[in-house]
Amino acid sequence: MIEFRDIEIKFGNFTAIPNLNLMIRKGEFFTFLGPSGCGKTTTLRCLVGFIQPTKGSICVEDRDITNVPIEKREIGIVFQSYALFPTMNVFENIAFGLKVAKLPKAEIRKKVLDIAKKIDLSEEQLLKNVSQLSGGQQQRVALARAMVMQPKIICLDEPLSNLDAKLRVGLRGELKKLQQDLGITTLYVTHDQEEALTLSDRVAIFNKGQIEQVGTPFEIYNKSASRFVCDFIGDINVLKRDIIREINAQSPRKLDENKEAFIRLETIFSEKKDGYVHLCGTVKDSEYDGVFTKYNFEVSGQTLRNIEKNDGIVVYEKGSQVDLYINPATVMQF
Amino acid sequence: MKTTIALEQLKNPSLVEKLKTVKLGDIPIKILLVWFVVAFLIFPNLNLLISVFYKNGIFSTEVFGKLLSSARAIRSLSNSFLLAVSLSISVNIVGTLLVLFTEYFDIRGAKLLKAGYMTTLIYGGVVLATGYKFIYGENGVMTKLLVAIFPSLNPGWFTGYFAVIFIMTFACTSNHIIFLTNAVRGIDYQLLEAARNLGASFRTIVFRIIVPLLKPTYLAVTILIFLTGLSAMSAPLIVGGDTFQTINPMIMTFAQSTYSREIAALLAIILGIATILLLTVMNKLEKGGTYISVAKTKAKMVKQKITSPLANMLAHGLAYVLFLIYAGPIVLVVIYSFTKSTNITSGVLSAKDFTLGNYITLFTQSNAFKPYLVSLLYAFLSAVIVAMIAILVSRIIHKSRGLFPALLEYSMLIPWLLPGSLIAIGLMITYDAPKLLVFNKVLIGTTVILLLGYIIVKLPFSLRMIKAAFFGVEGSLEEAAQSMGASSFYIFRRVILPLVLPAVLSVIVLNANSLLSDYDLTVFLFHPLLQPLGIVIKAASDESATVNAQAMSFVYAVILMLMAATALYLTRGKETSN
Repeated sequence: MIEFRDIEIKFGNFTAIPNLNLMIRKGEFFTFLGPSGCGKTTTLRCLVGFIQPTKGSICVEDRDITNVPIEKREIGIVFQSYALFPTMNVFENIAFGLKVAKLPKAEIRKKVLDIAKKIDLSEEQLLKNVSQLSGGQQQRVALARAMVMQPKIICLDEPLSNLDAKLRVGLRGELKKLQQDLGITTLYVTHDQEEALTLSDRVAIFNKGQIEQVGTPFEIYNKSASRFVCDFIGDINVLKRDIIREINAQSPRKLDENKEAFIRLETIFSEKKDGYVHLCGTVKDSEYDGVFTKYNFEVSGQTLRNIEKNDGIVVYEKGSQVDLYINPATVMQF
Repeated sequence: MKTTIALEQLKNPSLVEKLKTVKLGDIPIKILLVWFVVAFLIFPNLNLLISVFYKNGIFSTEVFGKLLSSARAIRSLSNSFLLAVSLSISVNIVGTLLVLFTEYFDIRGAKLLKAGYMTTLIYGGVVLATGYKFIYGENGVMTKLLVAIFPSLNPGWFTGYFAVIFIMTFACTSNHIIFLTNAVRGIDYQLLEAARNLGASFRTIVFRIIVPLLKPTYLAVTILIFLTGLSAMSAPLIVGGDTFQTINPMIMTFAQSTYSREIAALLAIILGIATILLLTVMNKLEKGGTYISVAKTKAKMVKQKITSPLANMLAHGLAYVLFLIYAGPIVLVVIYSFTKSTNITSGVLSAKDFTLGNYITLFTQSNAFKPYLVSLLYAFLSAVIVAMIAILVSRIIHKSRGLFPALLEYSMLIPWLLPGSLIAIGLMITYDAPKLLVFNKVLIGTTVILLLGYIIVKLPFSLRMIKAAFFGVEGSLEEAAQSMGASSFYIFRRVILPLVLPAVLSVIVLNANSLLSDYDLTVFLFHPLLQPLGIVIKAASDESATVNAQAMSFVYAVILMLMAATALYLTRGKETSN
């Protein structure tokens, strides 16, 4: 559906994207994830047409759109700031593109009302000024304005970053449902790993203008392709030589003792598991947040962290000895 | 110190509460402020109305007859309205171009262009009009050049309506440089990208997105320009000639004779009414017309490249012609301030004629330095006094609620609604005879009246700025100091004042700077033996002025520009860098 071929983007002497190759499938919810300044928005803007690549090409449905004007690419975009026109009401904002396309008034009205219904905006709200809407409603209007043009692809540039945490979670679900209902290919830019993992069919992890890994959320999280991905997604323990030796001593899987290894917090258990590597830990301190407790253990001269679901019964006191169990298959090494 | 007089004897609890909060130290200050308001803000203006419309205690409209029978007065009225309307169009066109060239289009050397266009911020009023006359006037450098090319050209071509419009158009774009530039910068660039993404053409983006967003700013700026045109003084006076005199120069002329002083007063009242009406309209527009951007993370405006090579060339050409018009007078004034007087008359420049003589004269000869000293003293003394009044009033408004602070605040804002000439005429008519309000003294003809005039006109601006600073101080700071037992005066001195001091100092610097070369108000109230700079510079632009006077006026102008630039840096520049 979308193919980035050998894309290079330069701003003067600065190379933002040195060489990017990527395929996105039709109907997919695809996320560009990475820290600030990693090139994810630049790549998205290049697809929409706001930035021209210095090298390479972009194809949509096998058609090269690299030099096609923005308005003819049939790609909608929702901006981080929503970019709602403050001088127009909600209806006029959604109808803007349709008016520019000189559609008959009746058709414009029908299309606007249809999309408004889909995104839960009442007719009364359509007549309001955009500044009178809440953040969540503004976000919906921005989405409606892009969707009403029936684009082939919709690009969302950190659309939830201006909302409070609770609303963000709520809208996340709505966004996913809407995308599934409409079956529209969606490109989503975010630096929020939780957002990326919950929403996406596949995720591309960006770092310094390059893609470190492309995969499903499960693959990205559990089978990270690089130390950067491992570090960037979720919380991680870095295992040093002494612990790696212990793992090697107890397990048929042999890790390289000269390299660091990584393991997620939730894959270190305090309950006995058959076939798992056993380690002895001493509780250094803990952090209780109601549902979970994070423990810091002293193990073979280094700190290992784990996360335990709160069952209301077991609590490890500071200084107590705890048996820890690790599945060597969950240890990552690059 | 609080009153402790037998409070228990008082039966009315609300009165007890009120007396508890009365601070004896405040009373003299409040009395002083009330006296100031009555004596200088209310009474002179009321007295002006009474003296115009009441003859021997009877209401009279005789003055209208006098006005209508004066062809000059009627012509000045129509000229003022013509000037205001013309300026509203010409300044908007030029101002918009300046903002487009510096903020919207990708024009090479935009920073240099902007520096040139911003010169009106440090170079205005009588100084600017004099500078333009020096270039384009009968003996001007440009006129001499033009006459050499077109011998049939009348050397006195730069006079009347055209000359006034020309000067004022380029002098009045400061509002565009400040407000329109800020409005353009405030536009979220993603709005334009969103419109492009939805298929909008350049024209649609400009007329459907940008213009509606800038409409409130344009309306406000247009009203300010209209007001400036209505109350124009320096430009019509210096280059208007006999054919194009406007209200304010006429008020000045009529005010000089006792017979026609009534007409001057009526003209000032008409100007005042027009000003009040327009400011009311502007206030309404400000309240109802601004658009609230919903963007929490705005994208910075990206300069647009002009794709057509011809249009690009034309835009660059126009941008640099405008730059020359703006920077030309300043550059020449600076250059000629370093030449001998004879070079100013001949217009010829050569390396050997450059001298520091004019500057040495300024700092070594008392008669040359005197106007400077007079202006500096008046400007800084009035700026400090007005800041002190504004601090006292702000403190009262900040600390208390009720009728008194509200009335005090509104009274202090009266001069904002009135043109300087009306204030001046009010003071002239009221205090040309002993009045009990000022302890039976005559103020006209004394050195005090100009100081009072300066204080009055600068009150509204100072109060608004200093009041804002007071209200910006977090209430908890004062409460914290109070809880530790600090007295009201101690809190004011040690907690509040240090926090509002930067704003106070900025206000003092800005006020003093704008008063240094003031002409419009000064011309009505100055003491003949203590002529401030504005008067001296204007006199130097007269055909009868000596060559030495012209040379000195250039030196004054250069130093004024340096001071204005410093003031601008200290106030605006520091804010920006912070």
